[in-house]
Amino acid sequence: MPLGVPGRPEGPTAAVETHDLSKHFGAFKAVDRISLAVEEGEIFGFLGANGAGKSTTIRMLCGLLRPTSGTALVLGTDVAKDPEGVKRRIGYMSQRFSLYDDLTVAQNLRFFGGVYGLAGTAARERQAWALRMAGLEGKEGRLTGELPGGWKQRLALACAVLHEPRVVFLDEPTSGVDPISRRRFWRLIDDMSAAGVTVFVTTHYLDEAEYCHRLGLIHAGRLVALGTVSELKRVFGGATVLEVTAPRAAEALESIGAQPWALETSVFGTRIHVVVADAEEGRRRIEELLHEAGNEPVGVGRILPSLEDVFIHHVEQAEAAGREARP
Amino acid sequence: MRVLWQVIVKEFLQIRRDVRMIPVIFVAPVVQITVFGFAVNTDVTNVPMVLVDEDRSATSRDLVSRFVDSGYFDVVGSEERADAAERWLAVGRAQMALVLPAGFGADVVSRRTAALQVIVDGSDASSANIALGYASAVTQAYGVDIQATRVRPRSGTATVRLEPRVFYNPDLRSRWYYVPAVLAMILLVMTLLLSAMGVVREKEIGTMEQLIVTPIRPWQLLVGKLAPFAIIGLIQVFLVTAVTIFGFKVPLRGSFLVLLGLSCLFLLSTLGLGLLVSTLVQNQQQAMMGAALAVMMPMILLSGLIFPIENMPRAIQLFTYLIPVRYYAEIIRGVFLRGSGLSVLWPQAAVLLGMGVAILTVASLRFRKRLD
Amino acid sequence: MRRLRAVMLKELRQIRRDPFSLLMLIAFPALMLVLYGFALSFDVRHVRLAVQDRDRSPRSRELVASFTHSTYFDLVATPAPGQDLARLTETRVARAILVIPEQFGRDLAAGREATVQLLLDGADSTTAATILGYARALVSAANADVVTEELARAGRRPAPRLDLSPRILYNPDLESTQFLLPGLIGLLMMITAVLSTALSVVREKERGTMEQLRVAPLRTLELILGKTFPYLGISLLATVIVLVTARVLFGVEIRGFLPDLLVVVLLYLFGALGYGLFISTIANSQTFAFQAGLLTSLLPALLLSGFVFQIRIMPPWLQAITYIVPNRYFLVVLRGIILKGERLTTYWPDVWALVVYGLVVTALASLRLVRRED
Repeated sequence: MPLGVPGRPEGPTAAVETHDLSKHFGAFKAVDRISLAVEEGEIFGFLGANGAGKSTTIRMLCGLLRPTSGTALVLGTDVAKDPEGVKRRIGYMSQRFSLYDDLTVAQNLRFFGGVYGLAGTAARERQAWALRMAGLEGKEGRLTGELPGGWKQRLALACAVLHEPRVVFLDEPTSGVDPISRRRFWRLIDDMSAAGVTVFVTTHYLDEAEYCHRLGLIHAGRLVALGTVSELKRVFGGATVLEVTAPRAAEALESIGAQPWALETSVFGTRIHVVVADAEEGRRRIEELLHEAGNEPVGVGRILPSLEDVFIHHVEQAEAAGREARP
Repeated sequence: MRVLWQVIVKEFLQIRRDVRMIPVIFVAPVVQITVFGFAVNTDVTNVPMVLVDEDRSATSRDLVSRFVDSGYFDVVGSEERADAAERWLAVGRAQMALVLPAGFGADVVSRRTAALQVIVDGSDASSANIALGYASAVTQAYGVDIQATRVRPRSGTATVRLEPRVFYNPDLRSRWYYVPAVLAMILLVMTLLLSAMGVVREKEIGTMEQLIVTPIRPWQLLVGKLAPFAIIGLIQVFLVTAVTIFGFKVPLRGSFLVLLGLSCLFLLSTLGLGLLVSTLVQNQQQAMMGAALAVMMPMILLSGLIFPIENMPRAIQLFTYLIPVRYYAEIIRGVFLRGSGLSVLWPQAAVLLGMGVAILTVASLRFRKRLD
Repeated sequence: MRRLRAVMLKELRQIRRDPFSLLMLIAFPALMLVLYGFALSFDVRHVRLAVQDRDRSPRSRELVASFTHSTYFDLVATPAPGQDLARLTETRVARAILVIPEQFGRDLAAGREATVQLLLDGADSTTAATILGYARALVSAANADVVTEELARAGRRPAPRLDLSPRILYNPDLESTQFLLPGLIGLLMMITAVLSTALSVVREKERGTMEQLRVAPLRTLELILGKTFPYLGISLLATVIVLVTARVLFGVEIRGFLPDLLVVVLLYLFGALGYGLFISTIANSQTFAFQAGLLTSLLPALLLSGFVFQIRIMPPWLQAITYIVPNRYFLVVLRGIILKGERLTTYWPDVWALVVYGLVVTALASLRLVRRED
């Protein structure tokens, strides 16, 4: 199942580790036996489509949901046995923006600081730090609800780390935010990781996944791949990925996909990615096939496999395995 | 404690920010007590009456003037025939018709049994009852006077006179009965709804998730969320009591401090109920429906605020022992009108305390720092 | 039409997914009606009476007997002379205390007028007034008997009695349930209609889906109709259930013409739903919508509509306000049709008032819906 280097990394005890962690809602398996381990200081990305189980997993790790079976330890604390202990030592940013829109920036910071037990000088210092980090200096009096999306996210992150937790869980922190703000946000995450904070992020933006040290790919509640980015891209082995652009993309996709030598096909907008064993051979066959159909390809070129390709590969494999399992 | 303080501060900041809430909290109760204080009135006076005097004798006119002079009736019109008068009742322009048939006066003079008729619109049973009572009293008094003058024109008769002495409300102003009740209703509605909505709202917009992932303890969260509403509730008690005393001149014979203190006990129950409702529902709409229809309406109607509990079937009377408002209604009337203090009201106080604590405990136990 | 249907279907689906609210809207009015139909009344029975008879003569005992043997009073205490009587009412042991002075019998024997005292707990003034009425009636009757006796003793023919034969229309047994039920129906309908419409629109605003709807090529009218029709249906269903329950359990028969009833109910609901929509256009949060809706529809429906308290005796400025409370007109017509068996035409002014109300609030609501930019 997991490709690349599986299981526990060498070195100090993992900041976050799970063993066969599962969550069932009735008959529906939202999370199905996930085992992973995240090192301290690591940026771990949890990648998957909507509904794959990312949020459910994170919520279990934060003590917000009780696992149906399996175990999870955060900084050595069992989330099922001592959820409050976990909550004290972690930071969490939920998927929906959940700071108070009707409070000002400063009021939100003061509130969450207070709730986390900060007081006096320490509280003030952390609040000042938070404002700097989020780039909101001078804007303390602004109503949170009136801030643009990117600023809100940074503020939410700041509120989540006021108490300097060693592990931070971020659930789709950049959804709905413009690309520049997203970059800026990730720089913040980098800074935190450099300072030794473990960051556990879920995202469905594949370009962001490239920023993570290690990734876990999740599909239908199961972990279908685990490893560093380069490890994951190596999954294609010796095979090549060709990108094909043709006038009638849907038709091309179908006809190529039916061919046995096309190991995998997928579509990205109007471009088709085909995994073939040999680059030259593959290109020739595609051009021939499309030419015959009067669907002259505009371009057939070799590309480096992107994470998207990797992801789709794994998802399709998992689905195929699922289909075989069913009678 | 600091955490608790932070939560309370946050709640107040949010309330202050919501511009619309200020009028709701401060202006609405005052408006309500004013309007409804004037509306609630079950004194039966000026009963509109339509007259059918087929007799037109001195005697019949005499009787009619007795009716008018009593002050209970207003003659709004007259008809030739009884069935025409009944139309007045059907349309609602009169509640009663007085029919004096031809020959009435002659019958009285010649000492035969004189018949007259009163037709009453029975839709409004209680006021019809009372109006009938008045009519029969006027008629009886007239009858006695006739007989008495016949028997001994110059001396009195050995009849009995009933002298009423009314405690606490000598003029039997129904307003004195109802206006304090409106205070209880306003308090109930406000605090119950605010507390139910307050908690569910956070659930619905997502900030609850962010809150429960912090190390905040459930009691800090709950007390912090409810305390502001308790304070608001007390402010409202203040405002509404002021209007009651100065606006409606309902006397406050007991101690205001006692009233305030016992209101606090009552608030324990209402806030607790609001919290309980919020733990049972998913979103604000359900909170409102549940709070209003399932909790508030039954409480108002069965609490003895408007409809006397003594008239209810035994089973329902027993049920009303579970309603906090019942005890608060007794407290309110006791403190305002009877000047009762804790020496008389301690049972009610004790029950409210017990109920409040029980409800709050159940509600907080239900409240979990988890999403499932 | 298709767009209208789409909006309606969406609304229905959303309603169906929230069975809790649906239950509240439909089943609850009926359940409450049952409960309150059995519980609510102003009739006063079994009045707790204490009697302090300082005379103990045959005449006084006769008077006391007339009280205690009547169905109105229950004898609960006979305090000795000198006992603190006020305490009896303060602790609510007795609602009324009949005090007969020592010279009662002697006064009557000497042909003088004798006075007895009735002490009443005036804090519960409605019942106190009724109790006083009962007591007066009992005393009056006793007096009439006395006079007749005197006449007989004096050898004269008994003077004519005045025979007041009351005829009670529409509610011969003077049961308050008959009176309260139409009012209760109006109240419940008002709550469900106003609240459900107000909340449904504000919910969309809060969730942000409202914007989505405005961008669609949807005419305002279609949006309004689509959103209110499902609730109209639900309210009607609830009304029917309530009426059937009232009939089965309380024997409240609809003496009037059924289609008339349907027409007035529809008119009333039209106004209530329109008002709910109007509320939704001025509210931005569900909390506010609910509070505003409740305050301006529930409490007036309860207190200003003639449901319990008569409009006629309110101060003029308050009576003026009741003109904009639709329940006022609804109750008049509803009582007329159900209790009095009248036709709709008898109440033209009230019917027209309902029509005008409905049109005005709906117009206001649509204007606001169109004008809003956010």
